[in-house]
Parts: sequence; structure tokens; C-alpha cells
Amino acid sequence: MATTAPALRPAATSYRSGLYEWLTTTDHKKIGILYVVNSLIFFFVGGLLALGVRVELAQPGLQFLSDENLYNELFTMHGTVMIFLFIIPILVGFGNYVVPLQIGAPDMAFPRINALSFWMLPLAGILLLSGFVTGGAAAAGWTSYSPLAQDRPLGSPGPGQDLWVTGLVLIGTSSILGSINFLVTIFKMRAPGLTLFRMPILVWTVLVTSVLVLMATPVLTSALVMLFIDRNYGGSFFDPANGGDAVLWQNVFWFYSHPAVYIMVLPAMGMISEILPVFARKPLFGYKAFVFATAGIGALGFSVWAHHMFTTGSVYLPFFSLMTFLIAVPTGVKMFNWIFTLWRGKLTFSTPLLFALGFLSMFLIGGINGAFSAAVPVDFALHDTYWVVAHLHYVLFGGSVFGVFAGIYYWFPKMTGRMLGEGLGKIQFVIMFIGFNLTFFPMHALGIAGMPRRIADYAGNAGWNDLNLAATIGGFLIAASILPFVWNVFVSLRSGKPAGDDPWEGNTLEWATSSPPPPYNFDHLPEIRSERPVFDLRHGRTKPAATLPDPGPVSQPTH
Amino acid sequence: MSSTPRTRFAPGSIWTWLLIALIGVGLVLTVATNAVDALFPPAAATAQGQEIRDLYTVVFIIAAVIFFVVEGLIVWTVIRYRRKPGDDELPPQTHGNNLAEITWTVVPTLIVAFLFVISWQTLNNVEAVSAEPELTVDVTGSQFAWTFDYLDGSGATVASQTVANGEGGILALPVGRSVQFRMHSVDVIHAFYVPAFLFKRDVNPDAQNRPTVFETTIDEAFAGQVLRGQCAELCGIGHRKMTFEVHAMTAAEFDAWLEDAGQEPTPAPSGDVGTTVELVAREIEYVDKELEVPAGAPFAIDFVNEDVAGVPHDVDIRLADGTTIADTQPVDGGASTTYVYGALDPGEYTFMCSIHPIPAMTGTLTVQ
Repeated sequence: MATTAPALRPAATSYRSGLYEWLTTTDHKKIGILYVVNSLIFFFVGGLLALGVRVELAQPGLQFLSDENLYNELFTMHGTVMIFLFIIPILVGFGNYVVPLQIGAPDMAFPRINALSFWMLPLAGILLLSGFVTGGAAAAGWTSYSPLAQDRPLGSPGPGQDLWVTGLVLIGTSSILGSINFLVTIFKMRAPGLTLFRMPILVWTVLVTSVLVLMATPVLTSALVMLFIDRNYGGSFFDPANGGDAVLWQNVFWFYSHPAVYIMVLPAMGMISEILPVFARKPLFGYKAFVFATAGIGALGFSVWAHHMFTTGSVYLPFFSLMTFLIAVPTGVKMFNWIFTLWRGKLTFSTPLLFALGFLSMFLIGGINGAFSAAVPVDFALHDTYWVVAHLHYVLFGGSVFGVFAGIYYWFPKMTGRMLGEGLGKIQFVIMFIGFNLTFFPMHALGIAGMPRRIADYAGNAGWNDLNLAATIGGFLIAASILPFVWNVFVSLRSGKPAGDDPWEGNTLEWATSSPPPPYNFDHLPEIRSERPVFDLRHGRTKPAATLPDPGPVSQPTH
Repeated sequence: MSSTPRTRFAPGSIWTWLLIALIGVGLVLTVATNAVDALFPPAAATAQGQEIRDLYTVVFIIAAVIFFVVEGLIVWTVIRYRRKPGDDELPPQTHGNNLAEITWTVVPTLIVAFLFVISWQTLNNVEAVSAEPELTVDVTGSQFAWTFDYLDGSGATVASQTVANGEGGILALPVGRSVQFRMHSVDVIHAFYVPAFLFKRDVNPDAQNRPTVFETTIDEAFAGQVLRGQCAELCGIGHRKMTFEVHAMTAAEFDAWLEDAGQEPTPAPSGDVGTTVELVAREIEYVDKELEVPAGAPFAIDFVNEDVAGVPHDVDIRLADGTTIADTQPVDGGASTTYVYGALDPGEYTFMCSIHPIPAMTGTLTVQ
């Protein structure tokens, strides 16, 4: 379609290629790809850190790490890297690439701020990881509870913790700028006819996520600045030794970090809400309910933070218990919407759908085992044990990461013009699915049996040996599943099957332009009468528009 | 991959499905045989733990039903609604169904409301604290030691137990008596966790010295058992070593133990010691980090721990390769002792605190 249309504008700003272009680009598509690639690199780094943890725990006894502080550095940086440098940014990357296309816009509202937001991330990553070569990375857990994170001999002396604080402030700033950019783009730059309730669900989830980021991240940023002052200038915010309050840190930290769970899950939910209808050849079941459920999760997400603090003895327990139970309701609504999208559909089992089904079945477990912790007395037993590790990985890996891979297989053809191999994709899915469950399911039993998190070693007679070994084997299976993925990307970029404009018979506007799209995204847009404009066009329900209204001066990528 | 999909992995091919089904069945069987047992908590040793276990059972049953219904629905949908090869017709374009959507909003709301109410009831019982418990234990957490002080009716300490690096004293508790724990930390956050209690509570440092409090009663059936306890909140390099043992005793055994434990321990006689050197620890640091003693003769260190109560130290001696050749008993903050060591060959040794193995608590012992 787009390729046969007459060029409407002179190709004055044709793509420059090469390193200079990638370093200076303000094109949302290139920035989106930079986000995705950068995040995947940190995914591999975080994965290696996790393998270090799993190797040490494979058997009782300290075999792999002689320096116990290094073990604490490994799991601290694993959590930090995976959350702040992989999951959050890779979802921002998909948002960056897909949202302007899905709303028929030529770019984000603020292209240069967009580039700035991205380039803070590799810098922050280098800062965080440089702790390993400056006397030890941060080792107080990704939660960095005070006073352990304070500058004291048995706390967190040395620059690693300061680098952690600084890196997180940078990442937070990047998130805040990015969220403003998304909000303005979504509210101001939608194509004619694309009303709010015709927006693709991914756009809705990015919208709600941006509101969460905008409200929550400044709280974390100020807490981090206070921690920095405590550590370096004798502040007394969070250190009881100086009259501060240790539990206060937990309140402000989780006031950000619980909504952050939804920041890490909502866009992935949006991605599979794009994928399931396409491969079932049906519209999303209950579009409006889904939108309200997303907004409901966003709103309730701000009233549950203290469920991470049930054992502190400083929390009004019934309130946070009730809110935590309630947030299961909108999440359940979404689960049924997805299932009934598939119901009576005609399912094509391409790799994106497999990963999306992985999301459904694993996120279900992550939701159900979360309900155990909402029952406060049960949480007294489970808190800070491996049960929680199992729960959070079923949400963030079983949910978000499976969603991310669904998205990679789904949009790779749009980003590169070439398909990823289906065979290798399915091999990756099967190995990753088995490895994931082998790693994290046994952790439920370990937690129930009393194994605390964040211990470098355990007694050989505690009865935890077999389950730990299983988890370690599973960890290596997950690592193995990355190999076919990397090979797949490599082969497809060189000689993958050409994708064409619309390889999946998609519903949304990104499939109405070429693959990859031109710098200005669209030569022309179809009429928009529903949330599935490309579906309507394919089935003759609407006509292609003859010309694209001039989008004005923001349309051209500026350098 | 080649551009034509291989038939072996063709979407919907019978072999792909058979493979997935086989793996699935294998997994389910393996997991199911062990899972149900492994997914239940150990027998609860306390009355409160038993209530938590009962609540867990209710939550587990509801969770299992929801899991099998929804997961089953997913699997059935996926198998039933595959697209047949060559089928290009669109399925019915259903946009929603108000009745169904209201149902799956209301029913889960009722389920979670029920769960909330029963967990609130259990919570009130588990959190109940009596004004006059039959026994009060004051717990001090420090990096990386537990101190358990047994208080009498007036709040005075009648006996004290210190467990440093998981070694030393025990937490003896009588069965059938309500025990109130009042806990605070002298440094970072710890958490008192006994898996068989199905319970943990944070042990916080606090500028106003407000303790965290809970109360529990060990079941009579557990008399004579030893239960594992451990710090559950990351507290630094020695976190994993912060273990302790709960010895459940009959009331009579406990009373005898308490009287015995309340006796002041008599320091071991120092015997024939040639040289005695002094060593002071203050704010988790040895004041002197260089000590000298003559070779070939026993020697002693007069050790004064000037840290606050609850922060024990010791003075172990190690070879350059890290082997411990003298393993000493910790001394609590505010106390002092004399450690007697056997004769050493000339050379340089390391003396260090085994509870705080950091540079500030490591020194060089020169033997010549």
C-alpha cells in the first residue's frame, strides 16, 4: 500500500545511516530500537548476575564465591539491572516505537527530549555497574533499606552505593521526561478520527503507565537525594543513629516501587492485548472494560505499597490488605477479557501468540500466589522467603518478559522489514517456558519450608538441596533459550524473509505503512472508524484516505 | 531459517502438539506427586502459627480451584479454537458481553472480600498481645548476633543468651505459656523468623527505642523439639549466619534451665600465662590493630568490649591462608574477658572478630 503510493513530500531528510545517525537520531523509531537493544544488553548482564547467584546456591556450602559481600552485590545488581535497565526501559522502547505509529503521528511530541531520555540510560547503567571496579557495587539489595544502605563499616561503605543512588536518579529523570513526552504525544498528536476510545490498548496502557511514572518517580527521586545526603553530608532522614526513621525509607521507596510493578506490567499487558486479537482474528473482548481495568489498576496501585512492609510492625494492616485484595479484581477482569478474546477465535500459533499465551498462563500464577501475601497472617510466614522470589518472577518474568518476547517477535518485522524465524522462535519459547518453571516453581516450596531470600548459603540438612539444584538447572535452561533468540535475530537481519507491510494481518495503524516505515511514518492514513482501522480497511469497511493532512512543522525529524 | 516454514514446526502440526502435550503431561505428573506436600507449610509449633496454617489452607484451596478453572479454560480454548489450514473465514466478531463481564467482576470481588474478612479475623488473633504475659523475652538484633534477655515481672534481666554467627546460646522457650517478645536492633534492620512459627517480625533500630512486639504460645506437643530460626531481613555480609535455635521445653524443664542460665558464668582460670596484652573494641573497631607477643609461650589478651550491649565481639587468630587456629567465645558489649592462647611459632598472624570480619576489626599479631 504505502510503497505504491506516490511520494507526497520530497525525500529531503532521507535516512542517514551509520553510527553518527544512531548517535544523533531524534526519530522515535530509531530511539525505540536503541531502547530495545540497550535493554536487551542489560538483560543479558542481569541474567549473568543471576546465574552467579544460582551457581552459588546450587549446593550448600560456599563454593563459587569466597567473598560473601560479592554475593550481596550480585543479587543487588541483578534486581537493579533487571528492573531499572531492562524491563522498564524495554517497555518504554516499545512504547516509543509503536505508540506514534499506532496513533498515526509522525514522531513523539518532543523528539530531542526523547533522545535525551534514552541516552541517560546507558550512562546510568555504566555508573551502576562501575561499582564492581571501584571497590564493590551496591550490596544492600535493590530495595537498599536504610540503615544498611548508610555509610557505615558494616553497612554500605565505599562508592558503590553512591553510584547506585546516582544511577537511579538519572534513570528516574529519564522516566519522568519520557512520561511527559508520551502524555503530550498521546493527547495532542492522534490522527483525525482516533478518539480516546478508539486508541489501541497498548496506547492506553502506555498512557496510564506514564501517569504512574509521573506521580511516583519524583517520590523515589527525592528519597534517593535524601539517602545521598544521609550518606555524604550527615543528613538524618533515614538513619536512627542520627535521629532518622528507618521505616520512612521503606514507605517512600515502596510508594514508587509498588506502582513500578504496574509500570513494568501494564505495557506488557498492552502488548499482548494487541497480539491476541490479531492471532485470534477477533477484536479484543470487552475493550472498554479493559480500559477501565487498566485505569483501576493504576489508581489502586498507589494504595497498596505497604503490603511490602507487613512485618515492620508500623503499618495499618487491614487497609493495605483490603486494597491488595481489591487490585486482584481488575487484573482478573483483564485475564477473562484475554481468554474470551481467544474463545471462538481462529488461532494461528505463530511465535508471538505462543509467548502471549506464556504470559497468560504464567501471569495467572503470579496473580494467584500474590493473593497469599495479601492475607496478612499468611504473609507473616511468606515475607522475605523464596516464596516472594517465586511470586515476583512469575509476575515480572512470566508476565512482563514473556510479553516482551511476544512483542519482539510481533514488531521485529515492522522494525527491520524482515521476519524472525518461526522454528527458532518456537525452540526458544519451549526451552524458556520449561526453564522458567523449573527455576521459579520450586521456590514456592523453598519459601514455605522457610528459606529466606538473600542468603549466600544454607545448611545442608535443611532439606532445601534438591529444590535449589532444580532451580539452578532451570536458570541455565533460561540462559540456553537466549542462544536461539540471538542466532535468530542475527540470521534474520542478514537473510530473513521479507516481511511486507502487514505480515500478521494486523489491526492497528503501524501495519498501514511500510516495514520499516519512512522517517515521517505515513504517506497516507486509512479512515479511522474503530479501534481496528487496518482491519476495517482490509475488509472493505472503510476507504483509504486520498491524502494525508499536513501534520505541520513537527513532522520532520530534526537533527 | 529458510523462508519456507519446515513442516516439523508448522503451526498446528500434530507433532508440535504431541510434543507439547507430552512435555506438559510429564511436568504435571512430576510436579503433582510432590507439589501438594511441598506447597504446605511445616506443622505449626505455636497456637498462632496453627491459625495461620488454617488460613493458608483456605487460601490455598480457593487459589487451587481458581488456578485449575482459569488455566484449564486457557488450555481448552487454545486447543479447541485452532485455525484449520486454509480456513480464511473470519470468526464471529464478538466485542463483548455485559452479563459475562459483570459476572467476572462481581464474583472475584466477593471472593477477595471473603478472603479479606477471614484473614482480618486471623490477624486479630495472631496480633493479640496480653498485658501480663507469662514470660517476656527482650530480643536484641545486631550484626550478626542475637541476644535474648529473659525478663522477670519487674523488667529486670534474669538470664541472657547470646548467639553470634549462629553459635553460642539458645532461645529456650516453655511450651504452653504465652511468651511476649520485645525486639529492637542496635544497628540495621533484622527480622526474627522461626519457620515453624509461620511468623516473622522485623527487628528495627529506632531513634525512640520503640520495640516491635509479638506474643506466641508453643504447643505442648512440641516439648523437646529444636526449631530453626534465622534473620529474614538482609543485614549485611553475615546475614546468612544469623541463625539461632529455639529449644521448646516443658514448663518444669524451662524453669530449671532458666535458673541455671541465670548463674553468672565463672571465668576460666587463666593459669600460667607469660605475657598479657590489652585490646579494646569500640564502635565495631579494634582500637589497636598491631599486637606483639613472644614466641613459644602461651599468652593472653585482656579484651574489653566497649560497644553497647547486644554487640558481641571476639578475638580469633588466623593464619595467612584464613585457617582459624584459635576460635574464641564472643563477649557482649559492655563486658570484658581474658582470652588465653597456646604457644605460637614466630611469624605474623591475623587476629580478627569472627562476627564482624571487616578491616576495622582485623589486626596483625606479630609473634617473635
